[in-house]
Amino acid sequence: MTAEFIAFFILSIFAIGGAVFMINLTKVMHMALSLAFTFLSIAGIYFLLDAEFLSVVQILIYTGAVTVLMIFGIMLTKHREESRESKRPLHELFALLMVVLLFGIIILTIYQVPIDTETNSQLKEKHVAKLGEMIFTDYVIPFELTSVLLLVALIGAILLAKREEKEE
Amino acid sequence: MNPLIVIGPVVLLLLVLGFVTYAIYFERKIIGWMQSRVGPNQVGPFGLLQTVADVMKLWMKEDIIPQKADKFLFQLAPIVAFVPSFVVLAVIPFTDQIKFADLGVGLLYYLAVSSITILGMLIGGWSSNNKYSLLGGIRSTAQMISYEVPLILSVVGVILSTQTLNLTEIVNAQKNVWFIFPQFLGFIVFLIASLAELNRTPFDLPEAESEIVAGYHVEYTGFRFAFFMLTEYVYVFAMASLTTILFLGGWHAPFGLTFIPPIIWFLLKFSLIVFFLFWLRATFPRLRADQLMPFAWKVLVPLAIANVFLSVILKELPIIQAYY
Repeated sequence: MTAEFIAFFILSIFAIGGAVFMINLTKVMHMALSLAFTFLSIAGIYFLLDAEFLSVVQILIYTGAVTVLMIFGIMLTKHREESRESKRPLHELFALLMVVLLFGIIILTIYQVPIDTETNSQLKEKHVAKLGEMIFTDYVIPFELTSVLLLVALIGAILLAKREEKEE
Repeated sequence: MNPLIVIGPVVLLLLVLGFVTYAIYFERKIIGWMQSRVGPNQVGPFGLLQTVADVMKLWMKEDIIPQKADKFLFQLAPIVAFVPSFVVLAVIPFTDQIKFADLGVGLLYYLAVSSITILGMLIGGWSSNNKYSLLGGIRSTAQMISYEVPLILSVVGVILSTQTLNLTEIVNAQKNVWFIFPQFLGFIVFLIASLAELNRTPFDLPEAESEIVAGYHVEYTGFRFAFFMLTEYVYVFAMASLTTILFLGGWHAPFGLTFIPPIIWFLLKFSLIVFFLFWLRATFPRLRADQLMPFAWKVLVPLAIANVFLSVILKELPIIQAYY
């Protein structure tokens, strides 16, 4: 057993544990925090995989920004402290089906993608610079489209907030 | 396994604790002198043991947890706040030899991990079940998130000219010219934003002790309160180190004065930044809450973006580009 394996084992347990707690806890605040814990553990797994940049960005965006945003939402809005049991069994069954389907698709895709270990080891050095190069040359159109999507979301949020203001 | 890997961080922790103890002492002394007072002079010779006595007092205090507080989160919050402040020190290179982790993305690592502390403050404010601490938590979080944006944008100029996120390489790129000169605008924005991140005057609204009911830590007593304070001073240590590395040339000696060892140069520059923080606290009034947010978004962010553009343009000009 290498140290890497032990670290992976611990981080996986943390990530799964956080997710399970997120589902089982009743207070919204606790849910948000266990989700943050999962995000952080996943960042650790990225780190083990030598994806330093991805790991750091995961901490910056998910653990830092998204969680704080969610907690802000919880703090500033009136909400029922405890979540209630759902009374629609059919609805839940449908949700379960969809989740299983999604899981199947993701696993299938992962197994179909060939993992090239040689290029992986090459990517370790200077991988931030290479990542930047790739994004701004080969993948510039998806990158720009994503940024436009984010901009649209931002403008949409402002529009929604403005409309509420007028009604008062 | 190298025993230094285990001992090093412990030594660093003790050093940091020593730094915090005497930073608080010097802060009180310097502010005292600037305000024509004596400062602490009763406990020990020249009052040197004042902070030790203060910590002992906090230690012996009753540990109170409000009855209606969320007990688990209330106890967790100081830990969540403190741990990142020490973890960020892992990537700080003090000299060529004295450093712990040489990460490729060291600079981003610092900025990312330090943002977890905000979560600790928010949890502390919420779990106290007190509307003042909740308000304090929201206010300090809003401040820290807003100022994180200019903080990160202001270092883009440095990253552009060194083409790396590794802190050791950033220092080595400053062998001839410190980045404070070519990146002056970036330095100013970084300095202001880092003051806000550290919750220091003139941005100490989260704990404006003289005019409002403290902040997110109203309900905390004894050692848990001490941990929140410790977090802030460890961040002073970390941020002063980072400023030294990014803009003041790290351990490199100016004017070829290389006979003085690099660690001394680092400490000198580091102390200068720390002194600057104390100096500001003694002389600056506090910002108003309604000026705080517009200042970040309407002044600092545009300035930081302008600095990025300026760096890119100057990088292409014939003679000046040697400095960028």
